[in-house]
Amino acid sequence: MNFNVSLSAMDYSSMVSFLLEGTVKAVELFFLTIVLSLPLGLLVARLRLSKIMVVQIPIKLYLLIMRGTPLILQLMFFMFFPPLVLGIPVDRFTVAVFSFTVNYAAYFAEIYRGGIESIPVGQQEAAYVLGLSPLQTFMRITLPQVVKRIIPTIANESMTLVKDTALASVIGVTELFRNAESMKATYFSVVPIAVAGLFYLIMNSVVAAFYSRVEKKLNYYKG
Amino acid sequence: MKSTRGMTLILAMLLTSSVLVAGCSAMTKTTSAASASDASQTVTDSTKAAAADDSLAKVKTAGTLILGLDSAFPPMGFMNDKNEIVGFDIDLAREVTKRMGIELKLQPIDWDSNVLELNSGNIDCIWNGFSISEERKAEVNFTDAYMQNRQVVIVRGDSGITALADLAGKTLCLQAGSSAADALASHADFKASLKNVVELSDNVTAFMELEGKTSDAILMDEIVAAYYITQNNKDYKILDESLADEQYGVGFRLGDQSLRDEVNNQLKAMAADGTLAKISDTWFGKNVTVIK
Repeated sequence: MNFNVSLSAMDYSSMVSFLLEGTVKAVELFFLTIVLSLPLGLLVARLRLSKIMVVQIPIKLYLLIMRGTPLILQLMFFMFFPPLVLGIPVDRFTVAVFSFTVNYAAYFAEIYRGGIESIPVGQQEAAYVLGLSPLQTFMRITLPQVVKRIIPTIANESMTLVKDTALASVIGVTELFRNAESMKATYFSVVPIAVAGLFYLIMNSVVAAFYSRVEKKLNYYKG
Repeated sequence: MKSTRGMTLILAMLLTSSVLVAGCSAMTKTTSAASASDASQTVTDSTKAAAADDSLAKVKTAGTLILGLDSAFPPMGFMNDKNEIVGFDIDLAREVTKRMGIELKLQPIDWDSNVLELNSGNIDCIWNGFSISEERKAEVNFTDAYMQNRQVVIVRGDSGITALADLAGKTLCLQAGSSAADALASHADFKASLKNVVELSDNVTAFMELEGKTSDAILMDEIVAAYYITQNNKDYKILDESLADEQYGVGFRLGDQSLRDEVNNQLKAMAADGTLAKISDTWFGKNVTVIK
């Protein structure tokens, strides 16, 4: 027997509108994180490849901690450590964006690095011979190829991020998942949870379609 | 390639500065009450009793009391079908803040982190069917008890279970971090007789387990159980034997004595002039409050 799946008692439109509010929050979280973490990841990747130990070792440590500890714990750490230990008050949503950004930048950094290292070194040598500076080589020769290669992986991470926005509920951000849980308690029904699942699917369909288009546009040459 | 070193150092500086900027922007955005009241303070570690007890003054200056709650806890604090946060505790809080001449701000939090949220200054009080216990008193400054409650066991109507002893070898579930968990811990024999104890994130999930027969019983607040059962016409039974008698109070930071006293006095005034009984009638059909 289903747990009150009937909609008779539920004000369907108001439940959906509340879930939409949460969806907007989730989308905001997603966009801010992507916009901040993609460039940051590139920076970190470049530093990871540096030969200077003083740069490489802290970066490797950062990558280890960010990828090696649960994101949910990182969220709680950034939420409660500043006010409790350092006496600095923080804003919930900003903490969520910051925490997601530094976490995802770590993953993006390794993705970029994999892409960069897959470009044949002969290209760099050729560019040097032709008089291009390292920066020019990187920006105009290496990076465009890297981007084309890593699009599927970046699409993966983006879709994971859409779902990970649900984790912000542990620091009280009123995003989609938390709102769905509230509705579940109000109506004593799992229907809000199912609707939330549908909304996540719709968001991710848009993300997947977007990256698919990007891939097609970048496919002006093979390889 | 000598110039890569230079570029790397520039990038390293860019990275550290961007992290600093991101960190600074997280710091400068504050919750509204905290920003108003922290203008004159450099350290906000208000759990230290050494900080001057200007808790009431700070809240009055900010003009707002921030109430932290798990907004999925009917009937104490939950969302109604107009997506507003309502509840018995909310009505009490609104009346108290009205009498104090300030606004009430409702901040949904994750219940597991309630004391963390309180101590970090994101909320000023925990007011959400918050049971008073000795362990909690060590971390939280409670008002006088305003409501009585029992931790009871709920079973399916057709299960044939009528006493705690019948639950031997069965599965019990409860809300993690709730006083139900504490009540169970203090009944070691009963706990040991169970096959399994499942901790869940909230009470509705617990009811789902009961309905789906994944669990045989739920341990939860009697008030909440009665509300669910009557609101949803479920064939569940509440066992007569309860596990703990407890009382609800409002929780404040340990150092916030003046704020706690003010709210306490307001609740007492509401008891004296009958407002408390009236609000209780609206929600429960009778006066369940105990504050004098």
